[in-house]
Amino acid sequence: MMLIVGTIPIKDLPLTMGKVNSAGDSLLIDGHRIPCTQGTAAMITAALVATEYLKLDAPHVLIVGDTGKGNGSREMYEYLIQSVAKLSPQVLALHYCLPDMALTRSLCEALKSCNKRPTIIADAASMYAAKAAGLAQSFDIFTPDATEMAFLADPDATHPAYIARHLFDTDVTQTPKLVAAAYAKKNAAKLLLVKGATDYIVENGNILTTVSEPNVPALEPIGGTGDTITGLLATFVYAGLEPKEAAVIAARTNRMAGKLARATPATRVRQIIDQFPSVFKEYLCQWSNVCINLKPGRGNS
Amino acid sequence: MPLFGKKRPSFEGGGLVLFMDVHDAMRAEKVLKAADYAVKLVAPPPELRRGCDLALEINLVEQPGIERLLTEKEAGYVSVLPIKPGASGLLEIVKVTDFGDWLMVKSANMKLSFEKKSGIIVNTSGGGCPDIPYLHAEMIGKRLDEAPRPRDLGFTLCALMLDRALEECLALWGGKP
Repeated sequence: MMLIVGTIPIKDLPLTMGKVNSAGDSLLIDGHRIPCTQGTAAMITAALVATEYLKLDAPHVLIVGDTGKGNGSREMYEYLIQSVAKLSPQVLALHYCLPDMALTRSLCEALKSCNKRPTIIADAASMYAAKAAGLAQSFDIFTPDATEMAFLADPDATHPAYIARHLFDTDVTQTPKLVAAAYAKKNAAKLLLVKGATDYIVENGNILTTVSEPNVPALEPIGGTGDTITGLLATFVYAGLEPKEAAVIAARTNRMAGKLARATPATRVRQIIDQFPSVFKEYLCQWSNVCINLKPGRGNS
Repeated sequence: MPLFGKKRPSFEGGGLVLFMDVHDAMRAEKVLKAADYAVKLVAPPPELRRGCDLALEINLVEQPGIERLLTEKEAGYVSVLPIKPGASGLLEIVKVTDFGDWLMVKSANMKLSFEKKSGIIVNTSGGGCPDIPYLHAEMIGKRLDEAPRPRDLGFTLCALMLDRALEECLALWGGKP
């Protein structure tokens, strides 16, 4: 299974685990209707649309209501620590939460009990906690944006609000320097997809390739467009692609969807996601070059 | 969904609240624990010591919510700092991007965009803490000067950075409808 873990901004949503269904513009999870907005919901929606197209098993999710106090986040991580060995997902994608270094450390220990180690992806505050706790190298994939890349490059920062000014001041051309600094201090996952005007795909410190077309600057202000990339990436890994291939295709899909949606800063993330099936139909085989290996149903478990 | 065999791991916070005297530290601990914050009384490293030799370790990401609560409860403290000795201070600068009809202001990892003509917030993006999707839903579609302040509704450093972006947007827009 592919398991997506993250908080939802609904105060009274209990800890919920289940397979995702779509319900119009919303998600339906164990009887709870979740709107597709910025954050974990956008990531799940992107993953659901991609699994539906590829005829894969729908994502399983572990979600909880949390609007910032952190109680839900802690409950969610504690449950995951207790359950992950039994669940043994093939892909584990960790997303919005109140970052907690001790719980992240416990989760990394618990993951050692899985029969087969999952591919572990961290974005949002799950990535912040992994880096702050010095555990980045226990993760397979991080998906930082430009400022978060600067955060990974700053050995002393435990949150992007505390990065050194000279690192925040850098532009996209400085990404290779930030990447090198992050890997030198062991503060990066094995693979990075650095999201920005140019997307960088990096493996163990080596920049493998970049993606810069189509150029849709308006994607940056749209809340949730980073979350959709991570959802796509997780799905393509679940489908059997190598993480580096999955990263390239996820980045290209998001950009092309932004172009088709004629994105402006006022566009909502759902309008971007709605374009994914068209992008897949038109470009997926062409881009992946291994489309015959994307066997529908491979992820059924 | 019940938990089983629950065992809470030891606390790692990354932030310190400093106090002038021991009494303030003890009172702040009580206030924060009553509000379910994970905290630990510790001795601050000599280079960070400002007042007494007792400090509270906190999850640094929760700094805004903790400072707001201590202020509300009139629990005195000197400052909040990262524990790591080489850490920088809170990022103060912002970046502005012009999208024609819209402006985007970026503060650390948070971005806020508004329509120049109306001052309506059209999007917020970035961040990773659980209050950010909540603030996104609460702020979008509202005029800059009528939107709720992230510093009032949020609890985390992501929310604090979003508030700084909002402040800059208000200054750029100048309150003109």
